[in-house]
Amino acid sequence: MTMLLSVDGLTAGYGGARALDGVSLGIEAGETVALLGANGAGKSTLLKALLGLVPARGALRFDGADLGGLATEARVRRGIGYVPEGRRVFPGMSVRDNLEVAGLPAARDRARDVERVFALFPDLAAKSGEHAWRLSGGQQQMLSLGRALMGRPRLLLLDEPSLGLSPKLADEVFAAIGRIAAAGTAVLLAEQSAVRALRVAPRAILLRLGRVVGDGPVASLSEEALRDVFFGG
Amino acid sequence: MAALQLLVNGVALGAAYALVALGFVLVLNATSAVNFAQGDLVMAGGLLAVALAPLIPLPGIVLLPVVLVLMAVLGLLLALAAYLPLRRRPPVSVFISTIAVGIILQNGAAILFGPEPRAAPPLFGDDTLRIAGLAVPEQSLAIVAVAALLIGAQQWVFARTQLGRRLRATAQDPEMARACGVPVTAMILVTFAIGAACAGAAGLLLANRYFVTPTAGGDLILKAYIAVTVGGWGSVPGAVVGALLIALFEIGVSSVLSYPMALGALYLTLLAILVFRPQGLFGEAVRRRG
Repeated sequence: MTMLLSVDGLTAGYGGARALDGVSLGIEAGETVALLGANGAGKSTLLKALLGLVPARGALRFDGADLGGLATEARVRRGIGYVPEGRRVFPGMSVRDNLEVAGLPAARDRARDVERVFALFPDLAAKSGEHAWRLSGGQQQMLSLGRALMGRPRLLLLDEPSLGLSPKLADEVFAAIGRIAAAGTAVLLAEQSAVRALRVAPRAILLRLGRVVGDGPVASLSEEALRDVFFGG
Repeated sequence: MAALQLLVNGVALGAAYALVALGFVLVLNATSAVNFAQGDLVMAGGLLAVALAPLIPLPGIVLLPVVLVLMAVLGLLLALAAYLPLRRRPPVSVFISTIAVGIILQNGAAILFGPEPRAAPPLFGDDTLRIAGLAVPEQSLAIVAVAALLIGAQQWVFARTQLGRRLRATAQDPEMARACGVPVTAMILVTFAIGAACAGAAGLLLANRYFVTPTAGGDLILKAYIAVTVGGWGSVPGAVVGALLIALFEIGVSSVLSYPMALGALYLTLLAILVFRPQGLFGEAVRRRG
């Protein structure tokens, strides 16, 4: 496998508070990696920093190219998709428009990709003309996922996709994530529900207070290390 | 019959006001900033038409595309000078910078054109048609037709094109739009250009029947502000409906009482709306930024 994303010494913060402190990691093409940590560990900040939504220092390379200094939209065009915490669909736009807005420039490509998303999430196809605010939480999460796929990403950043969903809906969303990963898209999955995340990710990165405290195949992570990340110690 | 006559006049005035309010609300939605120069952009559009008329001695409809393009460029300059450098500052910064731009436009216009009222050429002609006993000025019909065409074209772009989707996404959630690959800064520039072009079109439409002076913008920004408040803060259809309603109100009341009384009644009505229905007529749309 080839290295798709490499991060070295990434530091980011809000005002004077440091949320990430020298984070280094790598993700290979097609790999699914769980990013685990308690609230405030820096998971969301890390994903935002990778996308350029928060200012950060450190070396960032994607597919061999330096991402430093590139605007968020340019990073997205290079092949990074993002599903934010809380879905953040465009509420006043239809389901189809939510998808198309994130699509490729050519209308024919967009139409094809919308159909691909509808095949992955048949519930959305039935509601394609409805405003996004009318969808249930689970449907909005699927729309958010589908929207991120419209740019044909090679790496998908997922921030707490099960947050606020019923267990049944969360299972459906994770089944979809499994299908996306199986199709060859690399996934970096930030999630508080370790059980769910580790079901789809063979590797995990443990984050605590903005630092990487563990990184390796799930089988190699001790229960103690996981407990330590979530409950301190 | 008199009521119908007033209705015709009110709709024509409301159509021009709708363009002013539309430009105002587009910028408001895309940037969350109140562009207090919008009224002065209308004045600038009117005076631009006045200045172009001797150079292009043709009906106003021929001037319209020229005014739209030049005003769009002015909108871009406004965004580059008064919005983009200040967008990460507290909202009051943009509030003040757009007021400053308005004052510069007013004083620039006073120096170039003087304080006396000027009239732009009519869109097609200045005859008055007799339709079912009503005296309908050609200019009024032209104002309604041109405003409807421009508003319709804009709605089509917003609803049916990728540019429109990107503009709407930027208005609803700029950070998320960026994360979807939308070039948000470019969209904000386009929004300012469209807003200024709308103002320019309104200026050209109004400056024939109602004349234009360098200080006319102050009244117009208030009308746009009231239209957006009545329609529902942030609602595009609300702004258009609000503009039509205030024009009808203004024409109706001033025909019975006087223009100053009509303005007073308009502000009283605005106060009543703010107290009893602060979300405006399209309040739901405001909440969801539809």
